[in-house]
Amino acid sequence: MKTVLVHPERCVGCMQCMPACATAHSRAKTLFLATIEEPRPQPRIHLGAGPAGEGFPNRCRHCDPAPCMLACLAGAIRRDTSANTVLIDPDLCINCASCAMACPFGVIRYHQDFAAPPGKVVAVKCDNCLERQDQGLVPACVETCAVGALTFEEPTAAFRRETERVTARLLIAMEAAMRPASVGFELLLQGKRAAVAMNPPRA
Amino acid sequence: MLRHVIIGNGIAGVSAAEAIRSLAPDAAITFIAREQQLPYSRPMISQVLAATADFSQLPLRPSDYYEQLRAEALTGQEAVAIDWEARTVETDRGAKVPFERLLIASGADPRRLKVDGANSRGVFTMRKAEDVHQILGAIKGARHALVLGGGLVGFKAAYGLLRRGLAVTMLIRSNHPLAMQVDAEAGAIIQGELERHGLTVQVGVEVTAIESDRLGRVARAQLSTGQALDCQMVVVGKGVWPSVKFLGQDRVRVDAGIVVDDHLQTSAEGVYAAGDVAEHFDSARGERWVNAIWPVAVEMGRIAGMNMAGRSVVYRGSLSRNVIRIFDIDVLTAGLVNPPASPEYEVLAARDLRRRTYRKLVFREDFLVGAALVGHMEQGGVLMNAIAGRIPVDKDRERLLEPGFNYASLAPMRRVVKSEW
Repeated sequence: MKTVLVHPERCVGCMQCMPACATAHSRAKTLFLATIEEPRPQPRIHLGAGPAGEGFPNRCRHCDPAPCMLACLAGAIRRDTSANTVLIDPDLCINCASCAMACPFGVIRYHQDFAAPPGKVVAVKCDNCLERQDQGLVPACVETCAVGALTFEEPTAAFRRETERVTARLLIAMEAAMRPASVGFELLLQGKRAAVAMNPPRA
Repeated sequence: MLRHVIIGNGIAGVSAAEAIRSLAPDAAITFIAREQQLPYSRPMISQVLAATADFSQLPLRPSDYYEQLRAEALTGQEAVAIDWEARTVETDRGAKVPFERLLIASGADPRRLKVDGANSRGVFTMRKAEDVHQILGAIKGARHALVLGGGLVGFKAAYGLLRRGLAVTMLIRSNHPLAMQVDAEAGAIIQGELERHGLTVQVGVEVTAIESDRLGRVARAQLSTGQALDCQMVVVGKGVWPSVKFLGQDRVRVDAGIVVDDHLQTSAEGVYAAGDVAEHFDSARGERWVNAIWPVAVEMGRIAGMNMAGRSVVYRGSLSRNVIRIFDIDVLTAGLVNPPASPEYEVLAARDLRRRTYRKLVFREDFLVGAALVGHMEQGGVLMNAIAGRIPVDKDRERLLEPGFNYASLAPMRRVVKSEW
């Protein structure tokens, strides 16, 4: 199943994901109308600044087991197993902030939301844009990210790509540090190197 | 198949039963529970008192929960004794329930007031849904309520009663409110907020006697200062004791709670304990401790259940933590907030009096061991997990105090400087 993956090393801190997310979670679904909506739509992705000022798009990881879900006093947080998404029911939420105390990433916020009962402050976080996904769209933050810091893909494929990348880099570093074992072995390796050079792992 | 008996249907017992069922589809599970109701959210009763939730929101599981779980439920009866030879639990209705694995998740009972007149009508504790039922029933005829104890229960009771329109006086024996949870400074902010909304707080005072009228209803409280206060209701929030009366003598080791090992097994083979009744290890304090709070009961229940069902899982220790919202102020605490005066501890604090925010961090060696946040508590979970996970925070500690602190502040990253494959 496809999921949103964060590649913080690519993030340039442009913050475009935030208004895109807020718009996707507005009543109007367009940026202009969303800005004049009450309650004001809020993003569920939060761009934080790292120690050197670098950007970090921080969003719900939909952990399993989810600490927020275990901590919820009102039973308002559940996992939609078919979508692998942790969801907060705004009708059941009692705004007690127990989930804020549990979330290791600090991605839960408390405010009014058009999907919640009017005037009620509730816990709000990323819902993987399930509504957009039902329409065949990718999550709004991914759609708007221009530098590939947010991607929507199969995690197994992404992990494999990363493994290949690390392996290739490690191999190069090791070979640079090693003396050839024997001429015959070197000749054998040469063919393999050529194969790797011709077919680099997918970026 | 193994017979599992669980004393208590609070969240520790329920979490354990669900863990057992997920690992052992055929195991027999029997609950023995004092309260008749379905498993409900105990912490939410203070929301009911404050009228931000109602009783219908309390149940945490569907009405056919026990059938769905395929568990037997002996509700409305209390475990009164354990026959250690026959390995049965006796209830006050005379049932003898045999067990092979026993979980004691009997929770804790509020400490009673021990002064003259403590049994008058109108003296309440706040622990069960039934308590809040009774308090709400007594509110109608009351104008002035007395809250005894400056802990979380006392504050939640005072907050609820204020929101219900009563005049409330809180008497605290120690010198500042929430003495166990926060430090003097945060306590003063909270007290200020409550006083702004009509609460009267008296510190260093105790009740010496409660006087009732001819109908046996609370009318006046005598204080240690010699003063007398007219009141129609008293809510006692003076902490809890683990419920262990039924255990008998010397069969299970009990200290401040039932002592459990890393698999949450008691000193008796096949007998486990979890939740408010169990004493394990506090990871911030580094010593044996009872953390009688909801999220710890959930964690312990799950792990006890897994161990009972035969999967060996180690419990890594609990962490005290709490979050309360009082009018416009949020207070979140985790771990050891008031460290002993010792050079071992480094304390960092930042305050913004205009915004009424306060943040205090306690470090020991390389580790964060405690945090208190007043206002802006969204990042509390990051700090809580840094404490619980014993993640070294050895440099840039001041960064954690910054208003813009977030997860990224702790995640230095390698930048992509050139295209890599």
